[in-house]
Amino acid sequence: MCEGDCKGAAKGRPNMKPVYPKAGSYPDFAKLVDRENAQVDRRVFTDEQVYQAELRQIFARSWLFLAHESQIPNPGDFVRTSMGEDDVIVVRQRDGSVNAFLNSCPHRGNRVCMVDAGKKARGFICNYHGWSFGIDGALRGTDGKVYEKDETFEKAQIGLTPVAQVDSYKGLIFGTFDPDAVSLLEFFGDFTYYLDIMLDNDEGGTEFIGGAIKSEIDCNWKFPAENFVGDILHAFWTHQSGAQAILGGGVDLGKRYDELAFQASIYGHGIETNLDKVGNTRTLGYPDLVDYAFELSEKAKDRLGELRARAIGAVSSCTVFPNFSFLPGQNTFRVWHPRGPGKIELVVWTLVNKNAPDHIKEQYRKGVMMTFSPGGVFEMDDGENWEYSTRVNQGFVTRQQPLHYALGIESADMERDLPGHIHKGSLNDANQRLFYTRWAEFMEHDNWTDLQNGATAAPKKTATAAE
Amino acid sequence: MMIELCPSAEIAEGEIKRVDVEGLPAVAIARHEGALYVFPDRCPHADESLAEGWLEDGRVICGVHFAEFDLDTGEVHNPPVGCPNLSFFKCEDRDGTVFALLTGDNANV
Ligand code: FES
Ligand code: FES
Ligand SMILES: [Fe+2]
Repeated sequence: MCEGDCKGAAKGRPNMKPVYPKAGSYPDFAKLVDRENAQVDRRVFTDEQVYQAELRQIFARSWLFLAHESQIPNPGDFVRTSMGEDDVIVVRQRDGSVNAFLNSCPHRGNRVCMVDAGKKARGFICNYHGWSFGIDGALRGTDGKVYEKDETFEKAQIGLTPVAQVDSYKGLIFGTFDPDAVSLLEFFGDFTYYLDIMLDNDEGGTEFIGGAIKSEIDCNWKFPAENFVGDILHAFWTHQSGAQAILGGGVDLGKRYDELAFQASIYGHGIETNLDKVGNTRTLGYPDLVDYAFELSEKAKDRLGELRARAIGAVSSCTVFPNFSFLPGQNTFRVWHPRGPGKIELVVWTLVNKNAPDHIKEQYRKGVMMTFSPGGVFEMDDGENWEYSTRVNQGFVTRQQPLHYALGIESADMERDLPGHIHKGSLNDANQRLFYTRWAEFMEHDNWTDLQNGATAAPKKTATAAE
Repeated sequence: MMIELCPSAEIAEGEIKRVDVEGLPAVAIARHEGALYVFPDRCPHADESLAEGWLEDGRVICGVHFAEFDLDTGEVHNPPVGCPNLSFFKCEDRDGTVFALLTGDNANV
């Protein structure tokens, strides 16, 4: 800045280029995950410094879910969301591509977009001094015929900060703040094999229906993320009464559990599934949906093969690292946005196949609302557990105590020819251990070469291909 | 005096084009349902370029704060506070060239 004694107009003009923060390395935090002994230190759920490191190492670098293509079909259509705690606008451009920008005016920082979503926006005008930005993020103009008279004002280099990379996979749009991040496909690794169970089980693709449901839960974001990555164990106790009410019986993982059920993990993304065809779909309470899922499973064998076709409606759950989760069969998709170490904002959508009949879409929408919304039978069960798992650690002595993540430490399945780390049985802590291992990799490494070649990368399977 | 601006073929249907005129402020030329409209390339609200805006339902939309001006009367809609109406210059398409009366009072067509 020009402090008074500088002469000449060119001096001291602000550099308004976007800033993409560099990652650091936090080996001490990485050690909070003890792989040897299958334990996680409770500080990862409560410590403010750990949380700030997560924002830097994980949320400023990972590919994060932004929106479904179907939410913003036309130029100017937009949704507002978060990447970590950063407020972001995701908007369809005139050329059909999607861009995302920080929702903060480069003048004094005010939000430029106040609403959750909108159609055909012409641009975004900041409420404070009237700076106006196009849907391409560029500063279009200002207010009051003031800046025009100031010859030093360089409008062309001012704009909303673009999210460094935006890309989509089969309808789902993701973004990362890291210009050096590997591509979205590399970030997924072979995990797309499992994502396709929901995203590619029918020709015509998928869409979100019925808007979003938002709520807050006073828990650390990793409790729900680890729950969806591989904790079907809790369903037997936590969800028993809900299941009883809807199904007239308990949670059932299918007769062929021992033979079929497994967990798979790549780069911390994980899915657990029982391959029982319709166990999840059944809990929505509509017989028509069960029929639909059975038929779909039959039809999808051509696209996905026998195994993945069985997973479409099965008792199963999935998290894409770090905080995007969904339930196959129940079709609820959600992001656990961190809001400090002890709070999340949860946003939930319902995904359906575009080609599904209207009454089926409607039953999915209602079914999800009755089960996995703030007032839903199952969501309520979960929230309270995660809140107390978080809150108890305010106790100084409590938070020194060890936690147990050791179910199935010797259950690795080397035989099954599936992508990633495979473990036998869905009742297992394996995916959760790998989720925290990925977390530790992000804490430790400041570069993508190390990030993509650590313990969570898919193991090289040597023998299987030859046989 | 009518001043020559540009070949009328350069103004496509539904588009606005900026034309610089020596010694005078730049003008914008728009074509809507075949007809040509010439007006200052300066939004009456805060002086921003209207050629960088667009046409929508028979109105010029300013791309900055989204004031909308009727193409026939210049009447402003959705005005930011204090935004006056837009004035148009008399114009003609003479054998494929756009001419407009840029001096004297602006006259709404
Ligand atoms: S803070 Fe946005 S215009 Fe001033
Ligand atoms: S400059 Fe045109 S509406 Fe403000
Ligand atoms: Fe649950």
